[in-house]
Amino acid sequence: MDLQEKAFWARQPRFARALRVSVHTALCTVALVIAASCHHKVTIEQLKPEEIETTLFLIGDAGEPDPRQVGSPLDSLAVQAAAAPERTLIIFLGDNVYPNGIPSEGAAEWADARRRLDAQVKAIPMGARGIFVPGNHDWANATPFGLYSIRLQEQMIASLAQGRNVRMMPSNGCPGPATLDVGRLHLVALDTQWWLHSFIVRDEKSNCPASTIGTVTAALREQVRPQGDGRVVLVAAHHPLMTGGIHGGYCGVTGPFRRFGGNAQDILSGSNRAMRDSLRSAFFGQPPLAYIAGHDHNLQVLRGGRNVDYLLVSGAGAAAKTECAVRMRESYYVSQHRAGFMRIDIMKGKGVLLRVFRYPPVGTSSLAYSRWLEVR
Amino acid sequence: MTPPIRIISAFASIHTARSFLLFAAAMSGPSLVRAQAAESLPVLTVEATPIGALPPLALPMPASRDHNYWGFRFQVGQRRERGPEDLLTAAVGIDYQVAGGSIFGLTGGHQWRQNCQPSINDCSGHNLYGARARFNLMTGGSTIAGLVGDKAATSTLGTEFGFGYAPNVTESVHACTFDAGLPLSIAMLERIRLVTFVTPGVVWDIDCSSANIPSLRSYLLGFGLGLQQLAFRGLDVHVGAQRIFRGTTGMQYGISITWVRLP
Repeated sequence: MDLQEKAFWARQPRFARALRVSVHTALCTVALVIAASCHHKVTIEQLKPEEIETTLFLIGDAGEPDPRQVGSPLDSLAVQAAAAPERTLIIFLGDNVYPNGIPSEGAAEWADARRRLDAQVKAIPMGARGIFVPGNHDWANATPFGLYSIRLQEQMIASLAQGRNVRMMPSNGCPGPATLDVGRLHLVALDTQWWLHSFIVRDEKSNCPASTIGTVTAALREQVRPQGDGRVVLVAAHHPLMTGGIHGGYCGVTGPFRRFGGNAQDILSGSNRAMRDSLRSAFFGQPPLAYIAGHDHNLQVLRGGRNVDYLLVSGAGAAAKTECAVRMRESYYVSQHRAGFMRIDIMKGKGVLLRVFRYPPVGTSSLAYSRWLEVR
Repeated sequence: MTPPIRIISAFASIHTARSFLLFAAAMSGPSLVRAQAAESLPVLTVEATPIGALPPLALPMPASRDHNYWGFRFQVGQRRERGPEDLLTAAVGIDYQVAGGSIFGLTGGHQWRQNCQPSINDCSGHNLYGARARFNLMTGGSTIAGLVGDKAATSTLGTEFGFGYAPNVTESVHACTFDAGLPLSIAMLERIRLVTFVTPGVVWDIDCSSANIPSLRSYLLGFGLGLQQLAFRGLDVHVGAQRIFRGTTGMQYGISITWVRLP
């Protein structure tokens, strides 16, 4: 600043000088934002189909399809999956039937519950594999009928399959871990509602390989252990390990006070925390690539930390139920109030590509986010 | 009464009045000084502690409910146009964010007087210390996102309480202040978060020396802009300004750089 300029500013009133400082500060801030934003752009990865080994579709909380038309995102998922069904795996991440799972036959709600499940089974193209993971609503909305409702859902899935390769994992109301190996993929499925259910979780028909918290944790530890170079270990369950949605104590006035409510479905509750601690302890020293969940009705890609590389929340399977999500310090991507699903492509080389699709689309593309997941 | 007597009487009245005014002025001189001191010292004590000396900050960014994070903070603030001298303050702080929400922090720093005239004023600097608790009451996105047209927007409403202490602000005067506020932050954009914030509050100064300074209540308003999740996701930079609504306190401008240690 030369002497003339100094003299000029000395003549200005205080407000003008204050304004000058404010403008300079704002300009610097905007410049910083622009400079910083240049380093982050969503890239649309175009993959050659012959380079893809296995494709997974992750969709959760889809148990409330519109009764008049199925619509997005189930329709869009079905179209993408039909492109190469032989290498496609579709995982429904729980809450497959709202609001109370499958009731006993003869109940007034039975036909509508069947319709809700049927819309999802029909979205699985012939030749593709479909997996249904149980959620809290599938356990009769966490009521005493839960265990029986889960078994009814498993039977109904089998009856609706009509030649499709579709099943419930884990089955028979067992906590898991149930596993599936497809090429480099090692999928471990858990029924996390089993951990949180306050009513009967086993009976004489159960015959589960692991049926106590200790044996389930030990079996999970065994299953996530790396089984050779290049294996992609994914753990799928209904309840998330971390979320910026309503079950994480965000979104709404009651958010931080939900810890006092003691709702086991919330991250802040003691029983939910105990379950997550057990799962994390099983991952200790051998982190899976991703822990995949639903439960909160939004789409989130989160940094997992020491015990798991990535945390995915894909619970936006029903357009009518989408909810708020806040961006947390661990968030890579957050989509709120939009329906959608995630897609993971395991490449024949070493790469694993995650893509997030949301509806209604932003602009012309429903692809909202993509990221190469790093395999340790 | 004869006219000469009236004239003398009038003179006497003028003299009496003049004498009274002179006497009153002589008597009121120290009172005015005392009144000014009574008014300016509490303001100075507010300006001298971290509550009035350091720039305001946005509410903490939401984080994992399973982790508690340590944060390390560097702040510089300058209070200008407050009268004969400016106040420059630099401080470091440590924060502890509990379960992705509330923050408890400690601050220590030093304040210098700029453009000070040693022949008139006490120009020595002093240390300052503070403690602050900030609670996120409500964190959501929907309403604000709709208003600002950014689907990634998050708004946070919280409350905060702080205590500030600065020994030897002037000779034998130690400053103690307590404040309460109701901050609001709105964060936008996807990867790097652009946050705007406003921190209205009220501050009380407490006499914690033997100077018999009357305690006063003042209102504060802080506001600013920030960038969160810069570089390696744990780096936040905020620029802010603060106004104390009492006397000639000018405006305070400053910058805060915070690094949150993520696992």
